[in-house]
Amino acid sequence: MEQPSADHELVTRAAGGDSAAQRELVVRHQGAVFRLLKRLASNTAQAEDLTQETFITALEHLGSWRGEGSARGWLLSIARSRRLMSRRTSSARHEPAEGASLEKLGLAAGWGSPVDPEELASRLEQRTVLEQALQGLDEESREVLTLRDLEELSGEETAQVLGLSVAAMKSRLHRARLALVASVKRGAAHG
Amino acid sequence: MAENRDVGGLFCFEVLAQLSDYVDGELGAEARAKIDGHLQGCDACAQFGGEFGAVVKALQQKVRGEEPSAGAQERLLARLPVR
Repeated sequence: MEQPSADHELVTRAAGGDSAAQRELVVRHQGAVFRLLKRLASNTAQAEDLTQETFITALEHLGSWRGEGSARGWLLSIARSRRLMSRRTSSARHEPAEGASLEKLGLAAGWGSPVDPEELASRLEQRTVLEQALQGLDEESREVLTLRDLEELSGEETAQVLGLSVAAMKSRLHRARLALVASVKRGAAHG
Repeated sequence: MAENRDVGGLFCFEVLAQLSDYVDGELGAEARAKIDGHLQGCDACAQFGGEFGAVVKALQQKVRGEEPSAGAQERLLARLPVR
């Protein structure tokens, strides 16, 4: 991820109407915004629409970025807000991770019930296994895993984007990871 | 059902609760050493800790997510004000 000073300079130029800087913002960060929204949205078209709305909103409010954290984190916050505004009731998913106790999540993930490590390693070599396991989680879990583990935002920035304290973010992240382990193993059990 | 044994001054449940901080390297030296001590003496936690760490690492290294189409970027850039 780019250094904060580079972000700040780019956003300052873009806020001043520099169209090249505005294009650079899009080129630099569109991928990350789209990847998050695709993970959360119903389909590619919706993710693309929300990505457009994110950048249009951002460019209209460039002056409101206070320079804390990265431009990417700020854009992902906007993306998240656009998604929340557009969200309809989702189709059936597994129970949200926060509803279950940590012990229950651990047991579902196989805590105390070891699996064949070679079998697990073989499963984890297949990207589709992980993709399916990730998409099988509730939206909040997919969101925190995407921000922290896939887009590699820092813990602080992930918490900022989610509007949580760092402690609350870490709790959500840990529950999401346990749910992912369970989802990977469920996929293995069903072949 | 998992046992919840006190090994090395930590119960299994305490290790379960700290696994993310452990794999992320966000524990202090003392806390990390206590978990290491527990894992050395508790096969069940060592096994599950390995599984957990392997899944997190695989997620971070192998999953990338879909990129926007070239057309999507062009449409977005076309909406930017020209100056």
